[in-house]
This record gives sequence, C-alpha cells and structure tokens, in this order.
Amino acid sequence: MSFLTACKQSSALLRNTGAPSIACLARSLSTEAPKTATETPAKASDTGDLTVQPTRDVLVADVISGAPNELRHRAVRIYQPTRNTMQSGSGKSERWRIDWDILPGAGRWENPLMGYASSADYVQGTRITFRSKEDAIHFAEKQGWDYYVQQQTVKRIPPKNYAENYVYKPHTLRIMRTK
Amino acid sequence: MTTIPARLAKATRTSLGSQESKRRVLSLYREWYRSAPEICALYALSESPAQVRHAIRARFERNRNVTDQRAIDVLLIKSHQDFQETMNCWKQTDHVLGILLEPQDRPQKTFLQKFYEGRDEEAVIPAASGIH
Repeated sequence: MSFLTACKQSSALLRNTGAPSIACLARSLSTEAPKTATETPAKASDTGDLTVQPTRDVLVADVISGAPNELRHRAVRIYQPTRNTMQSGSGKSERWRIDWDILPGAGRWENPLMGYASSADYVQGTRITFRSKEDAIHFAEKQGWDYYVQQQTVKRIPPKNYAENYVYKPHTLRIMRTK
Repeated sequence: MTTIPARLAKATRTSLGSQESKRRVLSLYREWYRSAPEICALYALSESPAQVRHAIRARFERNRNVTDQRAIDVLLIKSHQDFQETMNCWKQTDHVLGILLEPQDRPQKTFLQKFYEGRDEEAVIPAASGIH
C-alpha cells in the first residue's frame, strides 16, 4: 500500500511539472482524473525550451473496456496510410490509423503439416481508423496505450502541362510524360 | 419459475461525488456479500458461501485503485447488472462457475519460467480465456 501511495504522490508531482512525455508516463501509474480539466493555453516557460501542455480530462477506459491487460505492454503506431499504389486515386489516405507492431518472433508458429503461419497475437490483423490524428491520440490515451505518432509524408504533386513536353532543355534526358 | 424482469433493476445514474460513489460501492458489495448463500443454493454449487465471498471480494479488490469518477460509475453499473442477472437466475451454472468464481488474474511466472518457455515478454501472452 505504501508503494501505491508513493506512486500516486510521484505521479501527482510529475503532473505538476507538465512535461507531456512524463505526464503520459504518470498516467499509467495513477488512474486519477486531473482536478483541473480546464483548457489552459499553452505558455512557454522561462527557458523557452518547454511548452506547458494543458492537462486534459481523459476517461480511464482501460478498466471498463474489458480489453486484455497485456495490450498495455505494447506500443501502438499512429500513422497516415500511404496511397494504394495499385490505384491512381488517393482515397482513404487522409485517414489516420492505429495499429500494433509485429512482435519479433513471439507467439507465432508454423503449422507442421501445411506450413500455414499461425499466431497468438490477437491484434495482428487489427487496425483502427480515425478521421484525425487528435482523435487517434485521444483514443490511445483513453485506453492507456503507449503510442508514437509517425510523421506524415509530404505528398509531392509535380506540375504537369502538355507544353512542357516540347520545352528545349539542354543536357538533360528528355522524358516524354504521357500521364 | 417465472422471473420478473424488473426485479432488482436499478436506474442508471452518476454519482455526485467521491463520498457518494464510495457509499454506493460499499452497498453493492454488501448486497453481493449477503447473497452468497442464496447464490450457492440457487445454482446448486459445491462451493461454500465463504468461497463465493472470497471471489466477490477479489473482484472488488481488482478495481480498488480506480479513482476516476466516471469509471467507477460504469463499473458500478456493470457489477449491478451482473448481480441482477445472477440473482434472477438468468445465468447458467457454468457462467457462475467460470465467470464469477474463476480467478481472473493470470498466475505469476518467474523470469526463468518465462525464459524457458521462450517468451519473456508480457505482451505476447494470448488473451483467449482459459489459456494460462
């Protein structure tokens, strides 16, 4: 019990410092909802290095969701999927996804008769789609999952016009752009 | 045996403060505790009421450190639904034996035990029920 109170005290201490990464760590130790749920604007500290993130009121859903506790030991990836290369359209690439990384060599085996790949990883085929990055982060925080946000790739759309095919460019290989 | 659907039904509501939620949790625990002999008689269990009470106590102890008010409310609702279903005999005997009385915590394994099995990560334990 003394260990629990020590954890709670340390988490309360960490929450007061307000560093976002540490606050994420402190949340796993204590399920207590923050007292100040008001959205205070982010202000820069004296050094200018750290910005104080406002504490948000996040419901602790992992005790009531019924999800297995083992999910807390795994980090989830929040990312924006790339365009399907088999299609020219860029549909569904504006969404954000949560998925779990493949565990290295654990919980998987090969069927001795047929060679089918089997897995005990119950989330290997699971992915969750969100409209925005903030939604995904909120969901991961609510569930108590460690997460990291993968940087979204900058889409480069090259300018194209028909006349460019006939522009004289010395010392360069001419590429006829047909599409 | 006819069952009255509204028997032991309670309206869902939110607690006003931590004191009230504590009081509600304690009263729900007392309801469970007092109905242990009735559960044994109702489902013709071979377990004694003391064992049932032990399992009930373990369920409440699992969520002892939850301090989020909304989470406590949801846990109260769920537990009371469970209580109503148990006492109205809406469950089968196996539900009571497997879900209510079965210990839900996985057995603790030492590092060496996990190492010999080849999986020393907590994350890879399968979550399917009944697999330890």
